[in-house]
Amino acid sequence: MSNQPLLQIQNLRTSFRIGDDYFAAVDDVSLTVNENEVVAIVGESGCGKSALAMSIMGLHPQERTKLEGKINFKGKNLLSLSTNEMNKVRGKEIGMIFQDPLTALNPLMTCGKQIEESMTVHTNMSSEAKRKRTIELLKKVGIPNPERTYKQYPHELSGGMRQRVVIAIAVACDPLLVIADEPTTALDVTIQAQIMDLLKDLQNQTKTGIILITHDLGVVAEMADRVAVMYAGEIVEIADVHTLFKNPLHPYTRSLFNSIPSSTSTKDRLHVIQGIVPSLKNLPRSGCRFKDRIKWIGDKEHEVNPLLREVSPNHYVRCTCYKNFHFSDEDVGDMNYGIS
Amino acid sequence: MLKFILRRILVMIPQLFILSILIFLLAKAMPGDALTGQLASNPKMDAQTLHELKQKLGMYDPYYVQYARWIKGLLHGNLGMSIIHQTPVTSLIAGKMWNTVLLGAAVLILSYLIAIPLGIIGGRWTDTWADKMIVGYNYLTYATPLFIFALLMLFIFGFVLGWFPTSGSVDIRVENGTFAYYMSKLNHLILPALSGAIVSTTVTIQYLRNEIIDTKIKDFVKTARAKGVSESKVYTRHIFRNSLLPIAAFLGYDIVSLIGGSVFLESIYGYPGIGQLFLTSIMQRDFSVVTALVMISGLATLIGTLLSDIILSAVDPRIRIE
Amino acid sequence: MAFLKVNNLKVYYPIRGGFFRRVVAHVKAVDDISFELNQGETYGLVGESGCGKTTTGRTIMGLIKATSGEVLFENQDLLKMNRRDFNQHRKDIQMIFQDPYSSLNPRKRVLDIVAEPLRNFERLSPAEEKKKVQFYLEKVGLNPEAIYNYPHEFSGGQRQRIGIARALTLKPKLIIADEPVSALDVSVQAQVLNFMQDIQKEFNLTYLFISHDLGIIQHMCDRIGIMYRGQFVEEGTSRDIYTNPQHIYTKRLISAIPDINPENRENQMKLRQEINSEYKNSYDKYFNAEGKVYNLKPISDTHLVALP
Ligand SMILES: Nc1ncnc2c1ncn2[C@@H]1O[C@H](COP(=O)(O)OP(=O)(O)O)[C@@H](O)[C@H]1O
Ligand SMILES: Nc1ncnc2c1ncn2[C@@H]1O[C@H](COP(=O)(O)OP(=O)(O)O)[C@@H](O)[C@H]1O
Ligand SMILES: [Mg+2]
Ligand SMILES: [Mg+2]
Repeated sequence: MSNQPLLQIQNLRTSFRIGDDYFAAVDDVSLTVNENEVVAIVGESGCGKSALAMSIMGLHPQERTKLEGKINFKGKNLLSLSTNEMNKVRGKEIGMIFQDPLTALNPLMTCGKQIEESMTVHTNMSSEAKRKRTIELLKKVGIPNPERTYKQYPHELSGGMRQRVVIAIAVACDPLLVIADEPTTALDVTIQAQIMDLLKDLQNQTKTGIILITHDLGVVAEMADRVAVMYAGEIVEIADVHTLFKNPLHPYTRSLFNSIPSSTSTKDRLHVIQGIVPSLKNLPRSGCRFKDRIKWIGDKEHEVNPLLREVSPNHYVRCTCYKNFHFSDEDVGDMNYGIS
Repeated sequence: MLKFILRRILVMIPQLFILSILIFLLAKAMPGDALTGQLASNPKMDAQTLHELKQKLGMYDPYYVQYARWIKGLLHGNLGMSIIHQTPVTSLIAGKMWNTVLLGAAVLILSYLIAIPLGIIGGRWTDTWADKMIVGYNYLTYATPLFIFALLMLFIFGFVLGWFPTSGSVDIRVENGTFAYYMSKLNHLILPALSGAIVSTTVTIQYLRNEIIDTKIKDFVKTARAKGVSESKVYTRHIFRNSLLPIAAFLGYDIVSLIGGSVFLESIYGYPGIGQLFLTSIMQRDFSVVTALVMISGLATLIGTLLSDIILSAVDPRIRIE
Repeated sequence: MAFLKVNNLKVYYPIRGGFFRRVVAHVKAVDDISFELNQGETYGLVGESGCGKTTTGRTIMGLIKATSGEVLFENQDLLKMNRRDFNQHRKDIQMIFQDPYSSLNPRKRVLDIVAEPLRNFERLSPAEEKKKVQFYLEKVGLNPEAIYNYPHEFSGGQRQRIGIARALTLKPKLIIADEPVSALDVSVQAQVLNFMQDIQKEFNLTYLFISHDLGIIQHMCDRIGIMYRGQFVEEGTSRDIYTNPQHIYTKRLISAIPDINPENRENQMKLRQEINSEYKNSYDKYFNAEGKVYNLKPISDTHLVALP
């Protein structure tokens, strides 16, 4: 069991129907998550992070979505499960935390009832047992007055408190895997820090695997064990967190690092990635998808069919263009984060 | 909550007061009165007797005296005398009020019984053939004015097919209080109630359908699905409840529009209610009846909107009334 | 002489309630703050959401009525001016808003959006107006041919530039930027921030830069004011604040910034725990009996802290 990964995604392609055609928002993604491991997925908005998460949860509208590949979880391929079978996985074995705590909770239900709903669906617990467990959960996610919050409606709580309730829902049935889609993006820094600490705490206690989706490299640095960088629906680089932060290789990863204003950087100007993230319809479907945004890198540096290759143990990079990559604006060299 | 209701009721007093002044002035400004009409039709009435009669009824008093007399009556539950019918307005209205309330309630219930399932079907299974038919139905009822639709129903089901009676509220031949009496009442009610109901489904269906379509893609619905809640429960526990909320709040406002609708319905179906009474009273310049009816509908409107607010705050925890 | 000087500014929002919807209480959104901006500098206003940053900015713009205090712009009190004088000065102060998606009217063409302030303040012929709009569009790096396009045809970063072009048309001296990049992705954010620095030099602009992101504030600002519940807890140069924070609230904010180096993660978590327990234990040292902060006191030429 322990050397078998908890979740193994193989060549996943998620396509949405727009008009009469299908367009892949997640393309050929392979990824594993082990027990007790935090895998971060980073990338700018529109690169397919949420589409990937929703594919694992099976929450895309079936009539407009095509899913190909395999998502193996506990020996089953989630993509081949019926809706009923999938409902037994959702909320019980895989929990999900959403980005915006202001909209993720039903405004007409008390927080207690919303947490209990998971237990109602997946267990035969008595209502008293559910109540007890809910209050326990509320305590566990750091809500100061759980009995009171149990009866409160979402609008009566602050954003940070609501996100704690959302987390309580996700972990209510002790899932093996939690998918957190930008869990701190909508929160203030101080609240973000609290929520990150809470997630780490919970994980230390329960040994769950976590897929942490974020666009914030700071959050990645604090939380992740392994990092996958996504661009235009593909994973362009995967490595463990220390390797990736010490030695980012793919031009996109390096560009991302250079564009954040960082407290350790001394440079006046931030790096700007030329061009824009292409929309789903306009994604380049062949060759290096990042090519158009690093035009000064010659065509021959790119692969025709770029694959994710292991460039050093457990460090994978897509396309060969990383080898001779350099930034075009001379004043912005690579940044050194003081790690040597 | 109680404090809120109390405050709203207190606020109603000046509103009703202003309404009463407006109505009174309007009634006075209208050309002619109930007696002028009699001058032409009644051969025994000459200018002299008319003058004396008017004097007796206080019609030459200054306006404020007349108004004060009227208000004083109102406050004592005395709505004045109908000059045409020569009966107290109170008893005239009381007799017809219950018919109107019955019709209104029937319209309301039927309308929701039709609209809510249709709205739910259209919203849940958008773009299926069922939904397309519902949208088509909605266009049709939207484009058809109530009085034309009611006339059409009357013509087809009343005259051509003869399934339902074409006027009145009950068969006068059956004895009051018997089973046959109630059946006859029901029989007279169906056609007007159905016409009123069908036309008023449009807004509810449209609103509910849109509301469900909007709610379907809300984040909290994703949260529910991510919990493993089955699709049907996602709809019943999360989507419908949240979408029906604004509909519940409409209930009070519906009362307001029913009052307007009853004028058409009752006139077309010859249904003896206060809507019909209102129309005939206007034509006969029976102002004491008209003013009384306008006051009553004004009050009903205010109570209707209050009801809406109370319902909304009862079903939506976000709306807190202190 | 200060370019913009805010003295004892208070902005209270009334809370109505009770039987006749009387004013029963106030939200003290801005509660007695004073600070000044020098010409050409970037002053950062930081704090958690709800602490009064937006209210401060909008009050200086004249969009919200101040309860009391002074806003001296080039030595004249904007709050006491009559309408005509105020409008004259309003030209010199422009604002950039947070959300590039909702702050531009989707039904207006870029030309109309950018020309809006011009139309309010200057009488230009259509040809002159078009020339001016194109000039500024080019300045913000957009294609001048784009004047007849609609906002939805642009990306987030481009829309924010349209917002900036609009702010620039009247040649303002002061720009109040309220979370100008909070809704943008990092790389787009970088683009807008770089660009704001470029035009600052070119047009000699002064910025009041509002943000909750301390990383961005540090990158952009010369001096920084930290706000907490409508009041200032600390003010100083970027260096003062980041290397020598004195108030527990400032320390808490700074320790909450995720460290970009994964090797520091344990330390960072420990630091946060220490500061949180200090925050709990020495609360009385930093906040008075009513839970309010003390008045600012200088601890160096540039550094002010709210301590008893
Ligand atoms: N249901 C959908 N139908 C069509 N396109 C979609 C759908 N969901 C997402 N997309 C598109 O797929 C791409 C990836 O979106 P998403 O996964 O939400 O990105 P991220 O979470 O990384 O910001 C975007 O271009 C988005 O517009
Ligand atoms: N129009 C308003 N009416 C009443 N309270 C308001 C209004 N606008 C803001 N507030 C309150 O004032 C405080 C400061 O708000 P704001 O200036 O928007 O903060 P920030 O921009 O720092 O997030 C908050 O508590 C907010 O709820
Ligand atoms: Mg997303
Ligand atoms: Mg704000």
